[in-house]
Amino acid sequence: MNLIKSFFEPLRIISRRNMIFLMIAEIVLALLAWQLSGGGLIPTPVKVLKALGGIASAPDFIDNLFASLSLTIKGMAISILIALVISYLAMIPFFHPIARFVVKCRYLTLTGLIFLFTLWTQNGHQLKVSLLIFGIVPFFVTSLLAEFESINMQEFELCTTLRMNSWKTWLEVVVRGRLDQVFEVMRQNFAIAWLMITSVEGLSMSEGGLGVMLIKANKYVQLEAVFGTLVIIFILGVLFDYILGKMRQWLFPYTNLQTRK
Amino acid sequence: MSNNSYTKNEVLLKATDVSLQYGDKQILRDINFSVHDIHRPELSQGQVVSLIGRSGIGKTQLFRILAGLNKPTTGTVLIDEDQHPVHPGEMGIVPQNYVLFNHRSIYNNLKIGLDNAAVKLSDAEKKAIINDYADTFQLSEHLKKYPAQLSGGQRQRVSIIQQVLTGNKFILLDEPFSGLDILMIDRVIGLLQKVSTLAEHNTLIIVSHDIENAAALSDTVWILAQEEAKPGATIVKEYDLCHMGLAWTPEIRSNPDFVGLIKEIKSRL
Repeated sequence: MNLIKSFFEPLRIISRRNMIFLMIAEIVLALLAWQLSGGGLIPTPVKVLKALGGIASAPDFIDNLFASLSLTIKGMAISILIALVISYLAMIPFFHPIARFVVKCRYLTLTGLIFLFTLWTQNGHQLKVSLLIFGIVPFFVTSLLAEFESINMQEFELCTTLRMNSWKTWLEVVVRGRLDQVFEVMRQNFAIAWLMITSVEGLSMSEGGLGVMLIKANKYVQLEAVFGTLVIIFILGVLFDYILGKMRQWLFPYTNLQTRK
Repeated sequence: MSNNSYTKNEVLLKATDVSLQYGDKQILRDINFSVHDIHRPELSQGQVVSLIGRSGIGKTQLFRILAGLNKPTTGTVLIDEDQHPVHPGEMGIVPQNYVLFNHRSIYNNLKIGLDNAAVKLSDAEKKAIINDYADTFQLSEHLKKYPAQLSGGQRQRVSIIQQVLTGNKFILLDEPFSGLDILMIDRVIGLLQKVSTLAEHNTLIIVSHDIENAAALSDTVWILAQEEAKPGATIVKEYDLCHMGLAWTPEIRSNPDFVGLIKEIKSRL
């Protein structure tokens, strides 16, 4: 009884074992509710599971999966590089307005810029990568700047008392001191990249990809295949999130020391 | 010659007519004081001065002005034998919450102090010095840990040593006894006494509202308080504990003169 009560108590920290139990129970309940309410437009979990088997055994599945993954990783890598340069430079007054402008670019719709990017790029692959970068970088820079701007003033003052000049202070506090946060921002924004991939893949379908599979399934109203592909995209996203989280813990062991367990 | 014989020589720190005003609000007014180099025979005796005042009186503001982090509205703070205006970085500070680099291990937090010291050392020399200090101040077993794994008292020790290793002769400590239990306070007093005797010119300035502990450690006590009908806090009294025979005395807390002094200080706040 106390255990059940603890599940509903605000700020209560429950054991890892109980949390796993809670997660599994909620997933099973959700799947049951889905199965029992099924039969309408939304295919039931059993049908989605069957469709999943079909999708995974399709000859072009691995190629599509690889196309999406390579595009996401390439887009992410370039975006991280650009976003880091912009965000780190934003600490230098001359570059601050540029970073602020990039942050505001979140409100520019990609749809209106597709034509421009089509003219600038030489092929479909370049078009997809550039749109992905243009879509991700403003969100990356926004999160990174928010992180840098929340640095405690006392850290900068500590550097001053340790006789560090402004470049050393910048390197110690903003770059080295926030590497773990940069990694966390990357992890959080990976979700945006992963969501965008299905949209940009539709712009040039010759290379294939999970997005292309979705568009085709939608076109022929194959709802089981649509849901099956969505489940694959969801599971892969969760898997990447988990891997990046573990990598953060491994690379920056001090991050876990200051959080609620 | 008695154990407590001493002479006061050149001025090491001098604040002249320091005032601080935010808009119409006067925070500090006409603050004047000086710290002299104290000589004791056959000892490297540094200076320990306390700035005592009630919470919210403006101690931290004065602390920041002395450290060169904030500019006073009027007045000057001069340091060292050549009496030049204080620049940020010339005074070490140990803030109340013991700020350290959370991404560096304790060893590397201490090393960064040496990395930026005026004297350039090899990595082997740095390692030897850090191990020596860690041993002296009971931190050897914590060198591989991160700041988040240490207790408040341990973090404070790292913070103080970090400043000492940088080569700062002047170290400002903001409320060093705050949040520590009685045993820890005694250890901190021991640590600060040790630091003050590491070099002749080492000067510790303790900003605190803990009268008894600050006075027990100090050779000079300044009282920061408000004078009647006058805006802003100022130094209302200076106690020369060397002259009173109350400095550098073990078991000072049970000395009747010291007990009387604490009563008097309380009445002035």
